[in-house]
Amino acid sequence: MWDWNYAFEVLPEIASALGVTISATVVGFILALVLGLIWTLLIRSSNKIITTVADSIVKFIRNTPLLVQLYFIFYVFPQFGLSLDPFTAGVIGLGLHYSTYLSEVFRSGIESVGPGQWEVATALNFTTKKTWTRIILPQAIPPVLPVIGNYFITMFKETPLLSAITLVEILQTAQNIGAGTFRYTEPLTIVGVLFLLLSYPASIALRQLENRVTARYS
Amino acid sequence: MSEPIVKYNNVTKYFDDLMVLDGIDFEIQPGEKVALVGPSGSGKTTFARLLMTLEEITDGTIEVEGDYLWHEEDSNGELKPASTEHLRKVRSNIGMVFQHFHLFPHMTVLENIIEAPVTVKGIDKKEAIKDGKEMLEKVGLSDKADTYPAQLSGGQKQRVAIARALVMKPKVLIFDEPTSALDPELVGEVLDVIKDIANQGETSMLLITHEMDFAREVADRIAFFDAGKIVEDGPPSEILYNPQAPRLKEFLERFMSTQASPE
Ligand SMILES: Nc1ncnc2c1ncn2[C@@H]1O[C@H](COP(=O)(O)OP(=O)(O)O)[C@@H](O)[C@H]1O
Ligand SMILES: [Mg+2]
Repeated sequence: MWDWNYAFEVLPEIASALGVTISATVVGFILALVLGLIWTLLIRSSNKIITTVADSIVKFIRNTPLLVQLYFIFYVFPQFGLSLDPFTAGVIGLGLHYSTYLSEVFRSGIESVGPGQWEVATALNFTTKKTWTRIILPQAIPPVLPVIGNYFITMFKETPLLSAITLVEILQTAQNIGAGTFRYTEPLTIVGVLFLLLSYPASIALRQLENRVTARYS
Repeated sequence: MSEPIVKYNNVTKYFDDLMVLDGIDFEIQPGEKVALVGPSGSGKTTFARLLMTLEEITDGTIEVEGDYLWHEEDSNGELKPASTEHLRKVRSNIGMVFQHFHLFPHMTVLENIIEAPVTVKGIDKKEAIKDGKEMLEKVGLSDKADTYPAQLSGGQKQRVAIARALVMKPKVLIFDEPTSALDPELVGEVLDVIKDIANQGETSMLLITHEMDFAREVADRIAFFDAGKIVEDGPPSEILYNPQAPRLKEFLERFMSTQASPE
């Protein structure tokens, strides 16, 4: 049933695709962080139109499936003259989708900073920008770091979706091997184990971070 | 007499339909210490927050050193709402100490104090640290420079907040009930620091307080607020010992009878 020789034979090829999976996660997540913060700031804008538009976009993205969004970016955008390679399309899809969750996380972090901090920033004559960068965000972000980390791990585990838009990440690599040899058990098991090996330690590290944060902010 | 440093002209403030300040005229002279007293809800905080630009003015004008705070003159000499730039320029003359301190919890005591000089005024960090340490000495907290606010008592927090406001060298410093959030045994240390600053002279002060003894000692003038108006305004001896307005007499009587003397 299980062939160790075969498993070791295909392992290097699958593991080598890890680079694609990890870089898609990292780049996608950085995009999600930046976009997420932008959504949050736009939604907090004093301009009602900006607030409504940003809020609607975020709700729309959050409430439609990531897979559909990936298909749209990869297969429909080219009809409007925007052709993207699978990696770019995948990273944009992941980043956009997760930015809507992170926006919510940022919002809760920002709301946990009391109005007094804003007032004292005004009293000390801070500009709006410096109020955000020096006073509000340094207090808003640390308490929500564990939640942000959780989304990172979740996103990592969702990258196999990118195989649907032909990105050759580790699942797609395993599938390709299986299709050539008609043996799927070993390649797919290896994919599962690789995900486990990376995400389990990450979640333990995250738990520790969470304990530190709780100790500091309660 | 010299030009007033702060001048309220017919200042009115509404919160929706609620009139909180009713056409107030008021002046502070350079270096003058003015205490604001009056029943809770009479508008003292709102009056001060307008000067700190924490609430928007509804009607009237406020001048700081001859510049409009909430307004700017256009080329025809007509008043229009102030630009952010203008507001910041005029606001730089004003500082405020809050009832609940509002220290930056993510910064040490010294970082709290040098943050605004460095970030807002662009002062060289070394110099800011030197000034900051001097200021900490003034409020008696030199040994707490590297401590985080969470480790301080309420009285110490408020002294840091005072130092933080002072390093910005405001011409007018507002105190809104600076000791109301403190345990009784910590009130004295904060009042002593404020008295020290007052005695050093040059900063004008607007002191909202329920501590009548303190007001009498520190203030050059006491203004009595009632229902959004300044009902009586004069030297402490007049306001406290020779009150004219019935509402002020009532207030003082109630105050003296409910205020158990700590000593
Ligand atoms: N942000 C606000 N919105 C609505 N009403 C307010 C607000 N701030 C103060 N008020 C009302 O304005 C009145 C004066 O309040 P305040 O200036 O705090 O008085 P004081 O400091 O003398 O106690 C009160 O009736 C209070 O309820
Ligand atoms: Mg008040």
